[in-house]
Amino acid sequence: MTNRRDIERFLRVDHAGERAAQQIYKGQLVVLRNHSSGEEIQHMMEQEIEHLETFEALLNERQVRPSLLDPIWGAAGFALGLVTASMGPKAAMACTIAVEEVIGDHYAKQAEQLGEDEADLHKTISRFRDDELEHRDIAVSHDGREARHYRVLKNVIQTGCRTAIKVAERL
Amino acid sequence: MMVGRKVTESILGKDIISEGVSEEVAAIISAALMHVPFDGWSNDALSAGAVDAGIEPERVSACFPAGPVDAIVAYIAMADADMVSAFEAFEDKPEKVHLMIRSLVLIRLEQASAHKEAVRRALTVLALPTNAGQSARTLYRTVDSMWRAAGQQDTDFSFYTKRATLAAVYSATLLAWMADTSSDMAATEAFLDRRLRDVARIPQMTGPARSIFAAGQKLAEGIVGGVGPRAGR
Repeated sequence: MTNRRDIERFLRVDHAGERAAQQIYKGQLVVLRNHSSGEEIQHMMEQEIEHLETFEALLNERQVRPSLLDPIWGAAGFALGLVTASMGPKAAMACTIAVEEVIGDHYAKQAEQLGEDEADLHKTISRFRDDELEHRDIAVSHDGREARHYRVLKNVIQTGCRTAIKVAERL
Repeated sequence: MMVGRKVTESILGKDIISEGVSEEVAAIISAALMHVPFDGWSNDALSAGAVDAGIEPERVSACFPAGPVDAIVAYIAMADADMVSAFEAFEDKPEKVHLMIRSLVLIRLEQASAHKEAVRRALTVLALPTNAGQSARTLYRTVDSMWRAAGQQDTDFSFYTKRATLAAVYSATLLAWMADTSSDMAATEAFLDRRLRDVARIPQMTGPARSIFAAGQKLAEGIVGGVGPRAGR
C-alpha cells in the first residue's frame, strides 16, 4: 500500500512542477513566438498544460492541498523561460534540457515508490516522464547543448529545480 | 467501516492525522455527548459513553490515545461529515457560492444545537495553548469540507485565501452562536449574514494578486517585444 502522506507529497510537488514548466514555455514563447522553434515550444507547452490539468484534477480527487508557494512557482517559471529565451534560442533549449532532465528523473523516482495499489497513477506519471524526456530530446536536436556557457547554465538551472522540488514537497 | 470521508491533510508538512473515524469511536462519542455537559470532555464521560454504547470502558484509552482531546477531534470530524451529507441531501441547493457556504454553516450549527454545552466545553479544551495545533487543524478541516462541499476546486493560491477567510467567518459565527439564546438562531443568522459579506468579497480579494501577475507578464512581453529582433538570431 502506498502511504497517503507520500501521495500527498507527490501530487503537490508534481502540480507545482507542471505549473512552473508550463510557465517556462510561456515565458520562452514571449520571445521566440516567431522563431523557427516557436512551433515546437508551443507543442511542448500544450503537453505541459495537459499534465497540469491532470494534476489539478488529482489534487481535488484526492483532497490534497496545492503548494502554498503556487504563485511563486508560476512566476519563477515564467521568469526562467523569459530570461533564457532572451539569451537566444539555444540558451532557451539548454534550459529545456536542464529542466526536463530533472523532471524526468523526478518522475522516474516517484514511479518506483508507488505501490501496486496506485497502478493508474504509476501509468500517468510514467507517461508524463516519457513526454518530458521527449522534450529534452527535442531541445537537444535544436542545438541546446551548443548554447554559450552550456554547462554553467545547466548546473545553475538544475540546482534551482532540485531545490524547488524539495521546497514544494514540504510547502 | 469508516464514518465520514478520509480527512488526512497536512498543513506545512505537518500531518492532520485522523483516517476518518472508526465505528467504535463514533459509537462511544455519540453516547458520551449525553455525559459531557456534566463531566466535561473527560475520561469519565467517555467511559460512561462506552458503557451506554455497550462497549468495554477499557477500550476508551485505546480509542483515544491522547485522551479526551482525541475524542473532540473525532467529534468534529463526525460533525464535518454530517454537515456535508445533510447539505448534499438538499433538494434545491443554492447556486451562488456564498449562499452555499451560508447554508453549510447554518446546517452545521443547527446540527450542533442539541449538544451546545458539549460544543462549548470542546471549545474551552481546544482553547488551551497545548491544543493550539489540534485546534487549528480541526478548524482547517471544517472549512476545507465546506469549500469542497460547495464545489470549489481551486488549485492555486485562492485555495488558501478562501480557507483563511472562511475560518475567520466560521469561528466568529460559532462564538456568536454560543452567545445566541434565541430558540430560532435569529441572532446567529443575522451575524453570519454580516460576516458573509466578507466571503462574497473573496473574488475581489484574489483578483488583485492575479491581475498584478498578469500585468507583470504583459509588461515583460512589452519590454521583450521592443527588443524582439535580437531574439531572432
